[in-house]
Amino acid sequence: MANVNDKDVLLSVRHLCQYFKMGRRRELKAVDDVSFDIHRGEVFGLVGESGCGKTTTGRSIIKLYDITSGDVFFKGQRIGAGIRSYTSAIKEAKNAYKAKAKELNELVKQDPNKASEVQASLEEEKAKLEAIIVENKKKIEEAKFDQIHCDHEFSKRLQAEVEEKYAPLLADALAKEDNDLYNKVKKDYKNELRIAKNSKLVTQIQMIFQDPIASLNPRMTVQEIIAEGLIIKGIKDKEYIQEQVYNILETVGLVKEHATRYPHEFSGGQRQRIGIARSVIMNPDMIIADEPVSALDVSIQAQVVNLLNELRNKMGLTVLFIAHDLSVVKYFSDRIGVMYYGKMVELASSDELFAHPCHPYTRSLLSAIPLPDPEYEKKRVRMVYNPIAEHDYSVNKPTLREIAKDHFVYCNDEEEKRYKNEFLK
Amino acid sequence: MNNMEKILEVKKLKISFRTNNGTVKAVRDISFDLHKGETLAIVGESGSGKSVTSKAILGILAGNSIIDGGEILFDGKDLLKISEEEMYKIRGDKIAMIFQDPLSSLNPIVKIGKQMTEGMILKNKDNRKNARKDFNTKLAILSENIIEAIGEDKREEVESICKKFDDFNIQAIKFEESFNYSETQAVELVGQIKDFTFRVSRKQTIDAKAALKQFSAKLKKIVDPFFTRNHLSDIETMISKLEKERASLPRGEIKVESHTTDLLNEIIALIERLESHTKPNFFRIGFYALEHPNEDIFNRPIGEFNELTLNYLNENFMNSFLDNVEKGLKNAYEKTNEEKVNVLNSLKKFTDFFKENAFTFKEANERIDQFEELLNKSINRLETTKDSISYTFILTVRANVKDYFANIKENIKDQRRFDKETRKYNKIIEKGKTPDYKVVPLKYTDPKNQIENIESTAKRLEARYNELLSRKLDYSKLAVELIDYFKGAASSAVYKITQGLAKEKAIKLMEEVGIPEPRIRYSQYPFEFSGGMRQRIVIAIALSANPDILICDEPTTALDVTIQSQILELINDLKKQRNLSVIFITHDLGVVANMADRVAVMYAGKIVEFGTSNEIFYSPAHPYTWALLSSMPDLETKEKLEAIPGTPPNMIYPPVGDAFAVRNKYALKIDFEEEPPLFKITDTHYAATWLLHKDAPKVEIPKSIRDRIERMKKHQGGNLNG
Repeated sequence: MANVNDKDVLLSVRHLCQYFKMGRRRELKAVDDVSFDIHRGEVFGLVGESGCGKTTTGRSIIKLYDITSGDVFFKGQRIGAGIRSYTSAIKEAKNAYKAKAKELNELVKQDPNKASEVQASLEEEKAKLEAIIVENKKKIEEAKFDQIHCDHEFSKRLQAEVEEKYAPLLADALAKEDNDLYNKVKKDYKNELRIAKNSKLVTQIQMIFQDPIASLNPRMTVQEIIAEGLIIKGIKDKEYIQEQVYNILETVGLVKEHATRYPHEFSGGQRQRIGIARSVIMNPDMIIADEPVSALDVSIQAQVVNLLNELRNKMGLTVLFIAHDLSVVKYFSDRIGVMYYGKMVELASSDELFAHPCHPYTRSLLSAIPLPDPEYEKKRVRMVYNPIAEHDYSVNKPTLREIAKDHFVYCNDEEEKRYKNEFLK
Repeated sequence: MNNMEKILEVKKLKISFRTNNGTVKAVRDISFDLHKGETLAIVGESGSGKSVTSKAILGILAGNSIIDGGEILFDGKDLLKISEEEMYKIRGDKIAMIFQDPLSSLNPIVKIGKQMTEGMILKNKDNRKNARKDFNTKLAILSENIIEAIGEDKREEVESICKKFDDFNIQAIKFEESFNYSETQAVELVGQIKDFTFRVSRKQTIDAKAALKQFSAKLKKIVDPFFTRNHLSDIETMISKLEKERASLPRGEIKVESHTTDLLNEIIALIERLESHTKPNFFRIGFYALEHPNEDIFNRPIGEFNELTLNYLNENFMNSFLDNVEKGLKNAYEKTNEEKVNVLNSLKKFTDFFKENAFTFKEANERIDQFEELLNKSINRLETTKDSISYTFILTVRANVKDYFANIKENIKDQRRFDKETRKYNKIIEKGKTPDYKVVPLKYTDPKNQIENIESTAKRLEARYNELLSRKLDYSKLAVELIDYFKGAASSAVYKITQGLAKEKAIKLMEEVGIPEPRIRYSQYPFEFSGGMRQRIVIAIALSANPDILICDEPTTALDVTIQSQILELINDLKKQRNLSVIFITHDLGVVANMADRVAVMYAGKIVEFGTSNEIFYSPAHPYTWALLSSMPDLETKEKLEAIPGTPPNMIYPPVGDAFAVRNKYALKIDFEEEPPLFKITDTHYAATWLLHKDAPKVEIPKSIRDRIERMKKHQGGNLNG
């Protein structure tokens, strides 16, 4: 967790696990032990086939799901935390203790003389166990607190800031004995305090959804859809809201007149623009774009990608870009993470990843990209990825390791050596 | 390219939709051909009329559609004018479609298995009936032709020969039917046993006693001597073993023990042995059996017997019969060719009748009836492939004449309405008021258009007949083809698909399209499938009736790269295996490059560029194609993407001139005034843009595309002639 406090890092995901219950016993490991950092101002692409957990990762980060285990840090503050790792640590310790106790009891049965000795070591073990339990329980409580109160903590901090800012102003106004000024300042102060109270840390991460038709409420006008976030935030100044909405419509390439229309009156590309406007109006630091262009035509795709690029430059946005169209991801992202069945299998800068793909799954994924070049397409051979044939993880378990600078691959010792050799060539 | 067989021809198709706001002109005059065994890709933005075209081919347009004109010719029929009943026979059977959204194209409350087998069983019934009918009519025509060729005095001889041909075919059919029955039973039995063992492997309890009874009943039905060969005793011992096993089992649901499954596996092995025998050639054996009614033909080794009967058939019957068929064919072709010349001679008179003087409906019909008689004589019914243009000529003319009179009537009615409304309007003005409405102007449709249509169809017929008359024919080859056609018809007349066989076929098909564990999947509902799997099911259903043409309407748009790649490979493989013709609709140019032999780029209901896939990608000519290519990033794109500004035009008011002009930065002044024709670039490459006119200013392909083409050429070492 060395990087968490790094100022450059905006979002940091550590050992994120998201399991879903399937029936009584079985669990679906949608995301399994995924860690990555997203730096301020960069576009981080997340690719993989459908069902590999890309979308789940995005939704877990924005707290649409309660994560099972692991931590999510945003601007250095923990916004999401799971408790599974701690509970399982307790369970393991308990089991270990039981096994030990059984062993010692056996010893006593064989040799009754050792009873006192055994009793002493047993107690020692028990103390150890209790220490572990206490420690983990504390962690669990912390995690639960952060999970629920992260927004509260954030708004407390904001409130303190507002109070600090207005205290001298108020005092000043009082000293001047100017009633009008005092009232005005006080009104402003109350307004800002209310906004601070209502503001949530998580709203600084916004999401753009895949399906522009399904994600817009058909019974709300564009104005209502876009302004909804501001209203929830506690802003009551209607003129201000109107102005903001008009501004944002202009930014995303729509016009004022569109504000009073309903979503069904728009084409697919325009709807996606509305979705983008809705998330951008909250002035977020980060946007999670969940396949924003997959459902669009090629020409409109280009418009939306260009728009996202513009916004990113203008507002200094950080983007987590989830998609399966690798050409677009390559074009848009600075760094790319490749996921396969809940695991992050490769992580590198986009040029690096396409130049030197290491993991066999990445290679097979890259070999499947169709390009607008008939001669190339005739020769293109798709590589098939078969995890059972490719890897032997029976002895040596794999982890995410750094092969070259900033290039991580999920592999074990033997594979690490092989990949490194490939790099030397 | 041009000498390839055209399987589907779309001519001047125009389709519009009635809506509350006005008529949306979705498809405006497009024409293309589809050759046998090729992939034609149609590319364009949404709303360009791609899907509408494909739906028109299948006859599944929405209720508010109007077909303003044009023809879709397929297998001697005009798909736009035939009845729903006839269309029903073509849809799915001859032309199948893979839809864009797999979830909404599957019935959510019917199991996958049922949906897959439904088509097979329905179509099979129809095919059997038609094949028999076809066989009989063709044979009758053939015999008539042979008699004409070698003289009326030999009529009896020829008739007896044809009778013999028919007879031994019937004999062959009988053998084949019995063989098919046993084979079907065997396949069904294997399927049932596999289902059984599958359930055992999942540790389910089964009523094994009842199941074994079923198996032994099935096994008893496998009796065909050709199928069982000398294994009949094996089967009997197997039945007795089964009975013994059954007797030893308790009643009710039990856990099945391994000795039962072992026995079942033995049965499967036995049936596999039976199936591995060479299939007897029933066509030959039928003849042999007819000549030697008392001989025991079942115990001869098949391989040898096939050889023997081949020689026997050739020596005793086929050689002379082929001679006769050749003569008959020659006669038929010569006769119809003479008639074709007649048709060509009277064609001018026929069209002039419509062109020159006014005619009544009755007169026109008489004329058409006369001509139909003439034309029918000129069509050679012994050809194995139907010539679409001559078969549909009369139908098209009739439809046009009908429209002609309808238009005249409509015009008169509209004139009356217009007069009445104008009178009313004028009255209001006379009173000194200003009316709050305007008179809807006259909707005059010129009936001359229909006459022009008739003329152009006649011209097409003329061209086709000239082409047919000028070709050289190899009668011996044609005779062999005809005999093969008879053989095929005979065996498809007895090819019966039962529910069980359909299930096994469906499971095989599911394996073919890459669905794991098809036996579980067979009895699941669509919602239990993931997106990729659903799409595979839709493909499997489309292929289940073994179509000639496959229309893929954006089959991979909703899928991710790996699955997309798999599905595309699958379609390509199946295309090669079955010699399918594919119409592939998409907006992803990468996919097009992978799949297509030829590409048609559509914009606002028109084809703006048309060419082979190399031509479209390495030397695109239309600005819209440029825009499409440059708006798509490839792996080396760094600069800003060039998006196409604006949106496609509103097709209620289709733009004057070039539809793309408004969004086109290379647009010339003429683009806003006059519609560009299709300019020919090479024999296969056409584009509709004024930039190709000889007076147009030179415009270079945009830099980003030029760079990309350079890059692509470099990748291939420069050996490119695109």
